[in-house]
Amino acid sequence: MPALRRYARALTHDIDRADDLVQDCLERAIARRGLFRPQGPVRPWLFTILTNLHRNSLRQARRRGAMVQLDAVPEPAMEAPQPGHLALAELARALDALPLDQKEALLLVTLEGLSYHDAAAILHVPLGTLMSRLGRARAALRSVTGTPAEPHLRTVK
Amino acid sequence: MSEISRERLMAHADGQLSLPERERLEAELAEHPDAAGELTQLRRQIDAIRTLYGPVLTEPVPERLDIDRLSARRTARRQRFWSMAAAAIIVLGVGIGTGWMLRASLAGPTAAERLIASAVSAHTVYAGENRHAVEVPGSDSAHLTSWLSSRLDTQLALPDLSAWDLTFLGGRLLPAPDSPGGRAAQLMYEDRDGERLTLYVTPAGAPGPGYQLASLGLDTALYWADDVLTCTITAPYAADRVRAIARSVFGQLSPRAPLYSPS
Repeated sequence: MPALRRYARALTHDIDRADDLVQDCLERAIARRGLFRPQGPVRPWLFTILTNLHRNSLRQARRRGAMVQLDAVPEPAMEAPQPGHLALAELARALDALPLDQKEALLLVTLEGLSYHDAAAILHVPLGTLMSRLGRARAALRSVTGTPAEPHLRTVK
Repeated sequence: MSEISRERLMAHADGQLSLPERERLEAELAEHPDAAGELTQLRRQIDAIRTLYGPVLTEPVPERLDIDRLSARRTARRQRFWSMAAAAIIVLGVGIGTGWMLRASLAGPTAAERLIASAVSAHTVYAGENRHAVEVPGSDSAHLTSWLSSRLDTQLALPDLSAWDLTFLGGRLLPAPDSPGGRAAQLMYEDRDGERLTLYVTPAGAPGPGYQLASLGLDTALYWADDVLTCTITAPYAADRVRAIARSVFGQLSPRAPLYSPS
């Protein structure tokens, strides 16, 4: 569950919307328990539900014409300002700027440590598509996280 | 030695490689400093992303996301759903039942009911009159009979109800929008107590033969129709008495009318 929250938070960058998503996700999971649950472990299944819910909520927001707040929200999960702060803030913005399919792929694999196989299943795409999304997402972030020569991220950790 | 593909590096950084694959890659990396640098950068990126959102894991989970609580709420909501569904079904059932019972009145009054209503209002208006209760007095019965018969286009007789201590007062012609000729004859009788009984007679119309007893306040109205005419008897009597009087009325009213004996 904390992992679900983390994934939701990274998707939305909004603590309330993220927890709403998690709550919806859990309620749906409880409702479908044993009914629609595919065989296999629970974790990827939960991530599937959450991913779909998030897509739906974005669609609805677009239909309503509401702006999805990206930059206005405070940077998530930040502790007191520290040397790495600026770099992380840039990273968060860069993540938000990614196309949704790349962001989902990157977060599932990198943040949640899911296998390529599971992540591809969650996103309903072939393995190759997942890999190319990952590659493009990482290339896009490279400008932010920098080349090895750039020092500023060394302060992170 | 061949280049190390980006996919392999990525898979390695993401921990997707099996142990033998990993060992082979590590060995190759020693000879490919570029790839090693790229791997470092990939790992850095991964670390940065985990650092960014890592603290969420240590945050206390809000109460609303508690699994037990969510399950309990769902159960409660489900029970509420079923009780509401039951209530809806009951309300629907009552609605349908009421509609079914009211179907007759919702369909509007029948022709017979409209005739009864006209008869009763005519009775109420003229039975209360002293000097002008009738248009043509009963003393001139020959004229009254031919006049009303021609106006109603029906051979009409004036029933003699003296057996019921009822004296014939006379009759009048009335407009009757619900009857075929648009006219009705009202014949009025009076008993020894001054109570009055009226017969409201029209030519038979569309409704066809019928019989209906209605009680309206103190008055009882009995409607009867054959294929020649309709007659509504209105009097401030009990239903039994009106029914008994009706039997002798029907026998005398129209010479051509078949003998009718309402049970």
